[in-house]
Amino acid sequence: MTTISSAAEQAPVSAPLVGRPDVNRKRMARLGWTFTAPSLIIIGAVTIFPIIYSVVLSLSNATVSGNGVALNGFTTSNYSEVLHSSKWHYALGFTIIYTLITVLVELALGTMIALVLERMVAGRGFMMALLLIPWSMITVINAELWGYIYQGTYGVADAILNAVGLGSPNILGTPTPAIIGLMIADIWKTTPFVAIIVLAGLVMLPGDVYEAAEVDGSSGWSTFWRITVPLLRPTLALAVMFRVLQAFGLFDLPYVLTNGGPGTSTTSLAILGYNVIFKNLSFGPGAAVATTTALLVLLGCLLSLRTFRVQVGKEGN
Amino acid sequence: MRNRKRTGWHRIINGVNISAFFVVLFVGLPLYWLIASSFKTPQALGDSPPQYFPNPVTTANYHDAFVTYDFGVYFRNSLIVTLVATALVLIVGTMAGYALGRLPMRGKFTLMVTLLIISVFPAIAVVAPLYLLLRNLGWLNSYQGLILVYTAFNLPFAIWILRNYMLGIPKEMEETGRIDGAGPLRTIWTIILPMALPGVFTAGIFCFTACWTEFLFALTFNSENSYRTIPVGIAEFGTVFLVPYGTIFAASVVAVVPIGILVFIFRKFVISGLTSGAVKG
Repeated sequence: MTTISSAAEQAPVSAPLVGRPDVNRKRMARLGWTFTAPSLIIIGAVTIFPIIYSVVLSLSNATVSGNGVALNGFTTSNYSEVLHSSKWHYALGFTIIYTLITVLVELALGTMIALVLERMVAGRGFMMALLLIPWSMITVINAELWGYIYQGTYGVADAILNAVGLGSPNILGTPTPAIIGLMIADIWKTTPFVAIIVLAGLVMLPGDVYEAAEVDGSSGWSTFWRITVPLLRPTLALAVMFRVLQAFGLFDLPYVLTNGGPGTSTTSLAILGYNVIFKNLSFGPGAAVATTTALLVLLGCLLSLRTFRVQVGKEGN
Repeated sequence: MRNRKRTGWHRIINGVNISAFFVVLFVGLPLYWLIASSFKTPQALGDSPPQYFPNPVTTANYHDAFVTYDFGVYFRNSLIVTLVATALVLIVGTMAGYALGRLPMRGKFTLMVTLLIISVFPAIAVVAPLYLLLRNLGWLNSYQGLILVYTAFNLPFAIWILRNYMLGIPKEMEETGRIDGAGPLRTIWTIILPMALPGVFTAGIFCFTACWTEFLFALTFNSENSYRTIPVGIAEFGTVFLVPYGTIFAASVVAVVPIGILVFIFRKFVISGLTSGAVKG
């Protein structure tokens, strides 16, 4: 918008695209939509359309046969079945608690790592490169690695716990240790990502505020809580929002590491949805699980719309 | 970096370095375990207490991954799907990113927020209808099915990154092109694109990483052995009775290396992508 009007003001009239501003603007807008159309068509076909279809499925008496899925009329029974199922209640609770704990720990650890890196004189580039490895690692590999570490008879975690005198709990065979084990694997993979974001936020903080704090005799601890944390809040909010929304779709890690078990103790909403759809072949209830999960994520998005707005708002348009 | 006076800086620097050492251990030890285990013999992998250094060192696991198992096939499949999807995302996404960053269009804000929401939408929400759609098209166990889905799911985020870079290019640059009489397409090609190249790199790395690591779609759509990608292949190496950890870790090391090299070379772009407000795990 600004590009065009100012171009019209400043450029000589002879330039081919700078004719009457409104005609020019229309032409540019049409070019804009032409350029955006391929993306919108692909995204619409592969994300928007399936989301709508998923809602339709969840509201139908869907049956599966060799020819595909038949919808067989409207019903709300899928939702009442899901909302009254104890499995769904557990999966919802597990996903929420898992998300809360892992994101909090990742935020705390990530901030600590970022503070260390910020003070490093040499070797920061090496540290950044090292931190990027877990971030870019295939989650399935992360799951296999921790599965070997937690293995009941020859896993290294077992050997370490034994050596410290904590006995040898069957980590992946007992619900609470399995959940904690899952969280540790997640924290290992994702903390570096949080650390990098926080570090970028730290580096951009204005230095004079800190000098003022030092002149005022503020201690390191209170400087951190009173100056660093408030100034860092937009960065932290964005990181937390994306982590929370992402953790809500938790699938790869428990699917490979614990397969949702022992029992159903690590069955997240996504694992439950997957099992209902592809193992029980109940597309209706499965779509209801998927849709409720999506609604929760959407709710989270709307609640954090202000954070979004900050991101989009740069152009003031 | 902020410039702060410190008293007794020797001690502080030491404290920082000791903390950094612990960070290296925290990140590095599991990585070491992955690499070390890939060089152990099957017997050594089952030792209790475990061998902390592989002895004897063997490369048999790497041989097994490619010869006994079909890791070579998975690697090729991953490479095809990832490269084609990334190329498509960059071509289509750069056009959209340019339009949304620099052209006057109504409803841009709504569009950008919608894209952002789609980019964090959980895959489980669409996996069932997409499965049915691909089945009707006969695209289950194919390259094109996975490529289409990966392209669509990575486009929103790529458009975001590209649009942010496009916004940052001074408008005078474009005007120079216009005054010289170049049409809009030539202006984009000769002036905008070279300047937006860092954004293209950043979006490309993110898309590549996301496609290379994706699991749920690949698991449901390409279950046939000859079309499996690396994550699915590695997840299915084991059976209920036997988990061939040596093979799994050898394959894992091979799978981590290309992306590790890529991320290391382009780390500047990865970090700028992670921090330019375009945050995604």
